[in-house]
Amino acid sequence: MASSKRFGSVLSSWVDKHFAILTVMPTLTVTILVFGLPLILSLMLSFQGWSAQQSLFGGRFVGFANYIDLFSDPQFTQALWLTIAYTVITVFLELTIGLGVALLLNKDVPFVKAFRTALIVPMMITPIVASMCWKLLLDPNYGIVDYFIGSPILWLGDPTLARISVGFVNVWQNAPYVAILLLAGLRSLPSEPIEAAAIDGATRFQIFRHVTFPLLTPYIVVALLLRTIFEFRTFDNVWVMTGGGPADATKLLSVYTFMTSFFAFDMSLGAAASWIMLLIVFVFCVLFVAASRRKENAL
Amino acid sequence: MSVASSRRNRVIGISLTYFGLIMLLVIFIGPLLWVLGLSLKTRAQIFVTPPVLFWTPTFEHYARVLTQADFIASFMNSLTVTSASVALSLVIGVPASYVFARFRFVGSGAVFYSLLLMRMLPPVAILLPIFILFTRLGIANSRIGLIIAYTTFSLPLIVWIMRDFFEGLPKELEEAAYIDGASRMTTFLRIVLPLARPGIVTASILCLLLAWNDFIFAAILTNNATRTLPVLMATYAGAETGTDWGSMTASGVLVVIPVIIFSLMVQRHLVAGLSAGSVK
Repeated sequence: MASSKRFGSVLSSWVDKHFAILTVMPTLTVTILVFGLPLILSLMLSFQGWSAQQSLFGGRFVGFANYIDLFSDPQFTQALWLTIAYTVITVFLELTIGLGVALLLNKDVPFVKAFRTALIVPMMITPIVASMCWKLLLDPNYGIVDYFIGSPILWLGDPTLARISVGFVNVWQNAPYVAILLLAGLRSLPSEPIEAAAIDGATRFQIFRHVTFPLLTPYIVVALLLRTIFEFRTFDNVWVMTGGGPADATKLLSVYTFMTSFFAFDMSLGAAASWIMLLIVFVFCVLFVAASRRKENAL
Repeated sequence: MSVASSRRNRVIGISLTYFGLIMLLVIFIGPLLWVLGLSLKTRAQIFVTPPVLFWTPTFEHYARVLTQADFIASFMNSLTVTSASVALSLVIGVPASYVFARFRFVGSGAVFYSLLLMRMLPPVAILLPIFILFTRLGIANSRIGLIIAYTTFSLPLIVWIMRDFFEGLPKELEEAAYIDGASRMTTFLRIVLPLARPGIVTASILCLLLAWNDFIFAAILTNNATRTLPVLMATYAGAETGTDWGSMTASGVLVVIPVIIFSLMVQRHLVAGLSAGSVK
């Protein structure tokens, strides 16, 4: 009894001494095993000619051949440019709509809280389900959208319209998220500069342009970077709504990578495409970390 | 400016605000309500032109979906995978976030931000090597594999949110406990954790959303027996011939309703969590 008690106190003082390392260790171990290791594996595969039948380290080293193959594949370059254009446009729309919505929801009128609550709903919805809903709403025969327009439009059958539809669904689902981020920003802004400008006789637009907007900029930058990172990897709604079609019109980088890896089963090429995605996203991640770090230090 | 005209301007301003707010509802909630309506119509009512606006709701589609073995199995898979991964990531991640908030050790900043980076990586890019590894380990097509993947994706989220939360807690209580001779573990379990409950609620919901809503990992890491709801929904949506609108809309509502009820219940925490990190 006494010895077990002593053992207990020795154990607890040992735990106390190494508390930090003991509690961080599990998180680090899991992350390194499930993120780090696979990342290294896919980097390795991207420099190899490897097929799923071979042993993990049995691939033949081929240098940059996979990367050269990628950039000489018109499907890949098209996917790359499409993804960049898609990201720029959707993020721009999400930010402008999100800012407008945030300004509207920032007004102190009765019941505005209920409207804020309602706006949480679209972004909670499972992306697959949201896309499925929009697929039904846009149905050329029985969809409510075409009923209101009065003519059957093949929203997902025409290359240009399919791109617009897919982008629209993402903006619809994520603009509320930007709105909530910016609303939180607006609510935390100091009121003195705005009141001072109002006393000086500035118009509402002048106040927004010269006081509110500059104060809100750090929040906008963070929202911009976050949304860029997430739009760049868009997959779910494209997959459900168009599957990358028609005629590859909505084959974004994520869809290309997915199909190369799991449909064409060219794992080495898929790994190379993954790494190009990773490198592009990495740049924005570093910018995001820098931006959120700077804000943290400012506080 | 006369009193009358400034009052008129205010009335116009408020009316415009409400007009804008109602437009918001129409655009962002309207489509969802329409789909909800479809799920409560009979087959004939769904396809009739002009659309029926007033009708007696029927629950036939819900009854059919809820008696489908496929749906029930996927629902149970989603439930198992989600709750297991949320529980696991809380147990692993919450103590770690406390350490990131209270301790400064060599490289703690670097480790914290590397975790954040992991959260940002495109899932499709990490999916291929995970699939290869899990296949070799024999845990592809099992719920275990999915639970491990979701837990790993949740950890950075938890560390990110909970670190902010712990930093906001007063240090004095912990210091008082140390002076009274409490160990670090006891202090953490007895004093810090109870105070952190609102933060833990937020973090769990965000992890829950991640696991419940994920499609791409589940699509590759499961088979027909272990697939989750989003994967099942995608097979519905992919069926071009004779799409069964009633079943699709009803099952869509069944997938989404629990999450929405849950999120609205803890709305205040959730908004704080969604803007945590980015708002700081």
